[in-house]
Amino acid sequence: MEEESDSRKINNSFLRDHNYATEADIISTVEFNSTGELLATGDKGGRVVVFQREQESKNQPHRRGEYNVYSTFQSHEPEFDYLKSLEIEEKINKIRWLPQQNAAYFLLSTNDKTVKLWKISERDKRPEGYNLKDEDGRIRDPSTITSLRVPVLQPMDLMVEAMPRRVFSNAHTYHINSISVNSDYETFMSTDDLRINLWNLEITNRSFNIVDIKPANMEELTEVITAAEFHPHQCNTFVYSSSKGSIRLCDMRASALCDNHSKFFEEPEDPSNRSFFSEIISSISDVKFSHSGRYLMTRDYLTVKVWDLNMESKPLETYQVHDYLRSKLCSLYENDCIFDKFECVWNGSDSVIMTGSYNNFFRMFDRNTKRDVTLEASRENSKPRAILKPRKVCVGGKRRKDEISVDSLDFSKKILHTAWHPYENIIAVAATNNLYIFQDKVN
Amino acid sequence: MVAKGQKRKLLEGRGAWESQLQSVLDISMEKFHRDQALVEPSLLRSVLISNTLRQVQSEVRAQVESLSSVKMPTKPQTHSGLEPDFPSGSPSSTEHNAPVFSLNDENSNTEEDVMAWTSEEDFSLSSAISVILKDLDTVIDAGQGPPRAPLGSVENLTGDARHTQYPPSSSRTERASNVVPSVKSEAACLGCPQDVVLEKLLLDIDTSVFEPEVNLLQGFSVTADDLVKYLPSLSKSPSASSSSSSSSHGQATWEIQEIEHVMDILMRTYPQS
Repeated sequence: MEEESDSRKINNSFLRDHNYATEADIISTVEFNSTGELLATGDKGGRVVVFQREQESKNQPHRRGEYNVYSTFQSHEPEFDYLKSLEIEEKINKIRWLPQQNAAYFLLSTNDKTVKLWKISERDKRPEGYNLKDEDGRIRDPSTITSLRVPVLQPMDLMVEAMPRRVFSNAHTYHINSISVNSDYETFMSTDDLRINLWNLEITNRSFNIVDIKPANMEELTEVITAAEFHPHQCNTFVYSSSKGSIRLCDMRASALCDNHSKFFEEPEDPSNRSFFSEIISSISDVKFSHSGRYLMTRDYLTVKVWDLNMESKPLETYQVHDYLRSKLCSLYENDCIFDKFECVWNGSDSVIMTGSYNNFFRMFDRNTKRDVTLEASRENSKPRAILKPRKVCVGGKRRKDEISVDSLDFSKKILHTAWHPYENIIAVAATNNLYIFQDKVN
Repeated sequence: MVAKGQKRKLLEGRGAWESQLQSVLDISMEKFHRDQALVEPSLLRSVLISNTLRQVQSEVRAQVESLSSVKMPTKPQTHSGLEPDFPSGSPSSTEHNAPVFSLNDENSNTEEDVMAWTSEEDFSLSSAISVILKDLDTVIDAGQGPPRAPLGSVENLTGDARHTQYPPSSSRTERASNVVPSVKSEAACLGCPQDVVLEKLLLDIDTSVFEPEVNLLQGFSVTADDLVKYLPSLSKSPSASSSSSSSSHGQATWEIQEIEHVMDILMRTYPQS
């Protein structure tokens, strides 16, 4: 699949030096809403930036619905837990959109400890002609009011405002790694290292614990929860993945506390590939249901796996993302890269899956044709609106002209977060502090 | 010569495994201690690092068991635990059939190679490993303690100790931080046979093993030189490998190991009363 690139660097604060990236600008999550009209990013500084796709116009057919900044707001602030003397990072770990039910947009954003429901709405009219106050807001002296008038709505410049509508806090001892909205559109779950809590979107002072894997003696802890997601259609079903490479599917109808799983997905270890790092690289960093709800995709350090919900013994498909790193695991352990948590996404029809890698590379795998491609998100190596050139990593021996050798890979340039439009072939790729949006080639 | 080539490859392969074990151990310990000093270490990270340390620990234990069973060949299961893919029979072993001791070719080949393994480097490694194992137990236990108040850790930071925890895990953590220097010094000893390490070795090894050797020598009035006469091939054979790999010091060490090995054989052939 060939791509036309429409890359842009998103600058959204007033003081900006183009030559270096501040750490607060590092994008930590990317998510399209259910129609694909909006794209939200969260960053390490606790900000959320929402982009909106502009209407396609006949006058400029080549600008096929580009994304422009729609709203920017500070979702989370750094906090200090006085009880434990701990600073709580404001970094946005995940954003999930709620399905649209009226003119306003709703999203959930979370940092390590608190989930917030934000309402993003437009205002293009304002009332004028109040009785008790002036146009600039000063209170009028009641004794001077001789007649009453009805305020009238007058048009004004479009204003997009974001307001926090709910704050779901004080329910997690450990760091929240996932949130997922249920298909019933009434509840959602938040997941930390050891527990999963179920919330009602309307109620903030109470949550139900549905999974708890904390051992009585913390010294016996050997496994933590790494991600969780609700089934896209069955509101009673969800999955959660672990640091040991297993996925558990749970049914909330079975019991209030879903410590016992309905299904357990784990691939037996390949003894020929066994090393000191086998466990670390088997830790699942992301789990995603397919849109159809029939399949499950998991990402561990070196592979992406597609599972059939009806087959627990082994995955249906395994795709090697960057197997050339297998011989370098010791150095990757030393420089902490082995702990990087890559995400993975499905396309709208569940036929292609995508995930990120190092050196600003990201990979796509076509499940039907079994073809795969490596692309690069970088301004230096691709001009706007130019077709992306497939990249190749040379594993050894002679390096061809356009190939890059494993030792030349830049491990500081990692693509952890990507998103795919729910219907079209538009993808969003976060490369450190830059957001790239790629669209399908127009013929 | 096939056996010697195999021996060299196995020595190298084993050396590579050992060096990876050592680096994984070092890196894991460093990360573990660095995370402990953090205010709020990531739980996922801590769990993965401690699981890796546990894996290193179990592998090391398995190796130490096989090494220790080599050192004390009275145990019958010695040879089965060692590398099985040794070629049986080699040109050098055929010359072992001196009347003083009866060996079959397979045995001598395996043991000869094993004794070549157990060079001074390995002895120091095994002693270092046994110290590290004790440390790992301490460290892993300390790692899973309850979350501590960071103010405590900052206040109690001294030059040597990394941190102090509130009880009940405080004593364990202090022990863990205290053993860090000793772990590092043991690691530094690897590869350089030093008197300190050899002393530790002697403490580790059950000295009763050597007693029958002494008795045997007294009973038979056989000196080391005499034994060397009976083993002309053995004194020659290391020169073939030593010319390419070990130094003359290593060669002398190797001969000493061979003599010890012969003592063990004698001990088995002529059991003490």
